[in-house]
Amino acid sequence: MQTKKLSPLQWVLMLMALTVTLFPVFWILMTAIKPPTDWNASPAIWVPSEPTFVNFKTLFDPEAIREYGVGGVSQSATKAVFGSVLASVTATFLSVLIGLFSAIGISRYGDGNKATPLIILSGRMFPPAAIAVPFVIIFSNIGLTDSYVGLIAIYVAVTLPFSTWMLKSFVDDLPREIEEAAMIDGLSRMRAHLTVTIPLIKGGLFATTMFIFILNWSEFMFALVLSYTNVSTIPVQLAKYVTATAGTLYGVQAALAVLAMVPLVIVGYLIQGHLARGMTFGAIKQ
Amino acid sequence: MTQGLPKMGDMPVLIVDNISKSFRGRAALTAESFAAPEASFTVVLGPAGAGKTTTLRIIAGLDRPDSGRVVLRGRDMGGLEPKDRDIAMILDNLALYPNKTGFENIANPLRVRGRDKKEIETRVAEIAHTLKIAHTLKRLPKTMSGGERQRIALGRALIRRPSLFLLDEPLSSLDAKLRIELRAELRRLQRERGSTFLMATPDFNEAMAIADTVIMLRKGRVVQIATPQELYDQPVDREAALFVGAPLINLVPARMGGGSGAPAILTAGGSLAMPEAFATLPLAPDVPFELGVRPENLALASPESAPIRGELTDIEPLGLKAALTVRNEACELRALTTGAEARTVRIGQAVGLAVRDAGTLTAFDAQSGRNLGHAPGL
Repeated sequence: MQTKKLSPLQWVLMLMALTVTLFPVFWILMTAIKPPTDWNASPAIWVPSEPTFVNFKTLFDPEAIREYGVGGVSQSATKAVFGSVLASVTATFLSVLIGLFSAIGISRYGDGNKATPLIILSGRMFPPAAIAVPFVIIFSNIGLTDSYVGLIAIYVAVTLPFSTWMLKSFVDDLPREIEEAAMIDGLSRMRAHLTVTIPLIKGGLFATTMFIFILNWSEFMFALVLSYTNVSTIPVQLAKYVTATAGTLYGVQAALAVLAMVPLVIVGYLIQGHLARGMTFGAIKQ
Repeated sequence: MTQGLPKMGDMPVLIVDNISKSFRGRAALTAESFAAPEASFTVVLGPAGAGKTTTLRIIAGLDRPDSGRVVLRGRDMGGLEPKDRDIAMILDNLALYPNKTGFENIANPLRVRGRDKKEIETRVAEIAHTLKIAHTLKRLPKTMSGGERQRIALGRALIRRPSLFLLDEPLSSLDAKLRIELRAELRRLQRERGSTFLMATPDFNEAMAIADTVIMLRKGRVVQIATPQELYDQPVDREAALFVGAPLINLVPARMGGGSGAPAILTAGGSLAMPEAFATLPLAPDVPFELGVRPENLALASPESAPIRGELTDIEPLGLKAALTVRNEACELRALTTGAEARTVRIGQAVGLAVRDAGTLTAFDAQSGRNLGHAPGL
């Protein structure tokens, strides 16, 4: 990595940007370790004097919060965490897999057909709320509401335009002659794509996977309208901490939010090299 | 149109039979036919957009023709993938694998065919030695010079012994010196191995230096198939004449002199004795045609007695030779002389020009530009 000297003005702007970005993260982290009395104290308590893990405990043991005299949590978050992992991982895998092959198809064999990629993209042009209701009706007719199959199907459908278009741009940037050279060297078309194209767009593939995973991981509306008892995800669970009896359980919500951030931070850290390369892939053509 | 097929006893390695191809309604190739005999070096020559790359890609199986056949060693290639065609190809932009070293790039055709490690190592070392790239084998393409990359691509093609090598402008990205060096090397390799090469290039000099047969393409059509010398001496039409040779051929309006006496060509404000070959041409007296005179076929002569006279307007020194521009009321002519001869004249001076060898004059139809002396099927 190249290091760069910043001018004082750049320093100030950078600090401002960092503050804006990181303040909510800081606040969530602090709230997650505040006892219930500190959650919405006025004036605000920035750093709790008596940090506690009771909020995290309450996530998996709803009774834990009662030691502070607060009740009303009925359900543990275990199922939601499991549901989020299952739905996001599966849907991301399928979306990227299908998107990869459509991207190669459009880029290499599309032959000037501009309509298909646009039709695929048009799936993203509807506001999700507009298609949520028809989806609920259709899914309840065919028995897919409140099932992971249904939730994964809709996640794949919704993220496929992104994965296709993102991967298409990476495939477009790769000169097709490299694959053709491989075919002349003795590979079939399919093997040329599998063993030449895919390794060469690795960075883009990681970046796309990460992006699609974040979309799926943080999706709220479809999960909300399509889940009743069998299915739950973290964003849906977060909404359940707004209770009728005890008000909003800010600390518990914050604790779950912190947990939800963990995989993103870890994965993001692990692939940041690829991510940076993926993002600039098009800019450094040799 | 199969006029170009050479009459040979044995089967040519490659027959391109009546190939047509269009991209989005635009014709790229129209009824293209030619053949490449065993152990020959055939060059597809033409300007950008003539269909050279498309021709090679169709032969390789990377593109499919709309109609027509590619026959390789008597076998119709229709529907076969590139890997099943027994060809090797150097693509236009080389297309080295950026994530593989020089060694891995060259070895790839053998590796994917599952040859054993020992054999691969020996053959790569052999090729690397021939091409003088042993020092680049451990490096990635991005750390190599243009010439080294070119040689790696060459090595990747030459590591196998296919029926046909296809080379799509393989020398285009190199500087002049390296280009000349490598093209001689290509020719040597082709001769040594007795392989059949088909190369595309827009550069006439390259074709001239390397080809047994030149296939001249223009707007997707074969316009002439000939040896380089034939192409130079008897181009099929005006455009072909202008495409080959530098400085450009002189094209001047002319007509046959009528009346009595020895037949003469009236041109460029003067009169030239009619060459023998013109006797059989369909040239009526006083019907205009265009006379083609190569610059090297014009020599300085004394302004008094020369058949063509004019004022010297420019001298362009070319080293050993010099290009003179001579202008009179009828036309402007370029003549190629020795540098020494050019130093005897000054710009602005009245000079005379004479034709060195009347046998190499060509006559083009004034309207169609067709070479009137070009025998079809030559």
